[in-house]
Amino acid sequence: MTMRLVDAELLESREILPGQFLQHYHAPALATAARAGQFVHVRTGDWSGLVLRRPFTINTVDRATGVLSIHFREVGRGTAWMSRLRAGEQLSMLGPLGQGFQLDPRSRHVLLVAGGLGVADVRMLADEALADGRQVVLLYGCRAASEVYPSSLLPDEVEYLVATEDGSVGHHGLVTDLVTDYEAWADQAFACGPLPMLAALARLAAGRKARLGVATLGRKRGGGRPAVIGSPAARRKAFLQVALEQHMGCAVGACLGCAVWGVAGPQRVCREGPVFAADEIDWEATVGGATGKR
Amino acid sequence: MKAKKRVVTSGKERPVEKPKRRPTTRTIRSALVGPKPAKGSRPGPPQVAAPAVVPPVAALGGPALVPPPAGPRARRPGELDPAAVDLRADLGRGLVLANPVLVASGTFGYGVEYADVVDIGRLGAICCKGTTLNPRLGNPPPRVTETPAGMLNSIGLQNPGVDAVLERYAPLWAGWSTPVLVNVAGESIEEYVGVVRRLEGVPGVAGIELNISCPNVGKGGLQFAIDAEAAAAVTRAVRRVTELPLIVKLSPNVADVRPIATAIAAAGADALSAINTLSGMALRPDRTGPFLGNTYGGLSGPAIKPVALRIVYEVTQVVDIPVIAIGGITGLDDVLDFLAVGAVAVQVGTAIFADPGLPVRLVDELRRQCAVDGHGSYRPLIGTALPRRPGAPSARGAEYRP
Ligand SMILES: Cc1cc2nc3c(=O)[nH]c(=O)nc-3n(C[C@H](O)[C@H](O)[C@H](O)COP(=O)(O)O)c2cc1C
Ligand code: FES
Repeated sequence: MTMRLVDAELLESREILPGQFLQHYHAPALATAARAGQFVHVRTGDWSGLVLRRPFTINTVDRATGVLSIHFREVGRGTAWMSRLRAGEQLSMLGPLGQGFQLDPRSRHVLLVAGGLGVADVRMLADEALADGRQVVLLYGCRAASEVYPSSLLPDEVEYLVATEDGSVGHHGLVTDLVTDYEAWADQAFACGPLPMLAALARLAAGRKARLGVATLGRKRGGGRPAVIGSPAARRKAFLQVALEQHMGCAVGACLGCAVWGVAGPQRVCREGPVFAADEIDWEATVGGATGKR
Repeated sequence: MKAKKRVVTSGKERPVEKPKRRPTTRTIRSALVGPKPAKGSRPGPPQVAAPAVVPPVAALGGPALVPPPAGPRARRPGELDPAAVDLRADLGRGLVLANPVLVASGTFGYGVEYADVVDIGRLGAICCKGTTLNPRLGNPPPRVTETPAGMLNSIGLQNPGVDAVLERYAPLWAGWSTPVLVNVAGESIEEYVGVVRRLEGVPGVAGIELNISCPNVGKGGLQFAIDAEAAAAVTRAVRRVTELPLIVKLSPNVADVRPIATAIAAAGADALSAINTLSGMALRPDRTGPFLGNTYGGLSGPAIKPVALRIVYEVTQVVDIPVIAIGGITGLDDVLDFLAVGAVAVQVGTAIFADPGLPVRLVDELRRQCAVDGHGSYRPLIGTALPRRPGAPSARGAEYRP
C-alpha cells in the first residue's frame, strides 16, 4: 500500500453540527486506495505558524468520483482555518495512512460503537460492511440531542441507536449501556470515541466469551495456531477493534511521537494503528496517561 | 517513488570522482574551510576559492560549453547552468556529501518511512533515529504537541537497540547512494563506545552523529552536552574505537557553547552539528498538569531558528572543523542564513512533518540560487556574515544576554 502526497480540492464544506464540519475533497488517488479506518495527514495554511499537519480519519470515499470526505470538530487554529476554506481551494493531504479495520469475511452482524466525533472513524466501515451484504448496527453516544449525528448521513440499512448523557433523546446514559443487548448478536464490534469509553468496551469484550458461554461455540474462527499479535488475522479474530487517536508528528512511522502503550510495548498509532484489537492495548496505562480530551 | 539505488542517483548528480569514504589518514581540515588560520584570527570568509571543476563559461560570455538551460527562461549574462553548480559538502575524514542538505535525526526514522513520497537518493545524507546499545521503550505518551511556530517532543529515545537497527536497516542503507549517519546515544561512555564498536566496519554505515544531550548516569544524570569535560571525554573515547567520520551534536541548553565546542573539536571530532532541541514544556488544556507524559520535551521548529543561528555563529568562529546547522529550517532563506554564519551543511527536521518534499526542494533551490548568482559552487555563500576581525572570544560567555 503506497501513500501519496496530493493536493486535494475542496468541493463542499458543511457545518453538520455546531462546530462540526463535513468536507468533501477531490482526491482520486487517495479515495481509490483508502480502506475504512485509515486516515489522511492534512497541512493547514502556512500563515499561522502551525508546523504540524493534522490527522483526520477518512469518513467516506466515493471511488467512482474520486471524492473523499472528512468530519472534524473545530478545536484549535488548524481546524478553524480548515473550517473557513472555500470550495475550489486546495490543501495538501498525505495518505492513505495506517492500518484500517479488519472485517472478517465470515462476519454477518457488525456492531459499530461511536462516542461523539468517533463516528467519523467508523462511518466508512458501515459502507464497506453493507456492500458485502452484512447487517450493521450503529450505537452512538453523546452529551445531548444537539450533538446527535444526523441519521440522514447514514445509509438507510444501518440500524441506528442513540444514547445521550442528559437523556434529551434516546437512551438516557452512556452508549456502553446499549452494548450488552447486541453482544450476542454481533460477530464483530468496532469502536471509536473517548478513551474511557473504549476502555469500558474493552472490558466488556474481554468478559464476553464467558458471559455468552456456548454462543461462541460452533463458530470456527481460523482454528489452528494463534495469529501473531497485531497481525490482520489476529485483529479479525478479536471481537473488538478500536480506532485510537493520538497527537502526531510525521504520521508515517518515522518520529515515534504517536505512541500508546500496548501490552507488547509502545505502538505507533499512525503505523501499527490507528485500529488495534482491543486486547493489544494496555488500557490502564493508556487511559491513565492521556489527557482524556478528544 | 522508491529509494533510488546507488547507480541511478549518482548519475543524477554531477559526475564527481567517487569520494573515498574511509581513508587511512585523517583529513586534518576540511577543504571547504581553507587553510587553518593563525590563533586568534579568522580568515575573511569568502576567501575560500571555488574549486576549479566548474568553468565560468557563462561569465565569459562565450559560447556555452554547458547544455542549454532546461529552465523556463533564458539565463542572464553571468548566470550559470544550475546543473553545473558544485554542491558537494566535505564533512571531513573522506565523508563528502553530494549536497549539503541532510535530514535530522528523529524526524526521518531510518530513511525508509518516507520513501513513498521522498526521493531518498537526492538527500545529502540521512541521520537516523537515536540508537542505543539496548532496546529502549521510550517515554510515556503523549509525546508530541504543537507550540507556537514549533513543537515539543519527548520520545525518550525509543529504539530497538543497535543490533536490531543494523540487522533491519544496514543492508538497505548499503544499497543507497545517500550516506546514512547513525545517531548514537547513551547514558555512559561505555554505552556510547559499545554502540560505536558495533557500527565500525558495517556496510551501509557512513558515519556517526553523537547525540550527547543525554544524562550521564556516571555523573549523577548531568548531560554530557552541558559539560565540556564530559563532552570531550565521550568524544575521545569514541574516537579511539572508530575510523568512521565522527560528528558530535551540540545542545543549546548551555550558558556558553564555545568552550564545549572547542573541547569536542580538540578531542577528535571530524565535524559538529548544532543544535539539538531546547528544553521546554506545555500544559494540558485544562491546566491540571503537564501535557507531555514526560513533563519536559524538546522544542524544535521555526521557533528555535534564532537560537540555532546564534549558536552556529558562535561555534564557527571558535572551531576549525565543519559545522552542520540544525534548527527551524523551513526554506531556502534559512539555509542561506546558516551558511552565512559559517555552516557548511544543514539538517532539516520538524519541517519535514509538514512538507516531506522540502529537503529535496532545498537542494534544487540552493543550486538555482548559486547559478543565478554566478557561483560555480555554494562555497562563496559560507561565512559571509561572520565578523571579519573578531575580538578575542569573550570570557564572560554570550555577552549580549540581558
Ligand atoms: C520528534 C523528534 C525526535 C528527535 N529525535 C532525535 C534523536 O533521536 N537524536 C537527536 O540527536 N536529535 C533528535 N531530534 C532533534 C532533531 O534532530 C533536531 O536537532 C531538532 O529537531 C532541531 O531541528 P528542527 O527545528 O529542524 O526540527 C528530534 C527531534 C524531533 C522533532
Ligand atoms: S506520528 Fe510519527 S511515528 Fe506516528
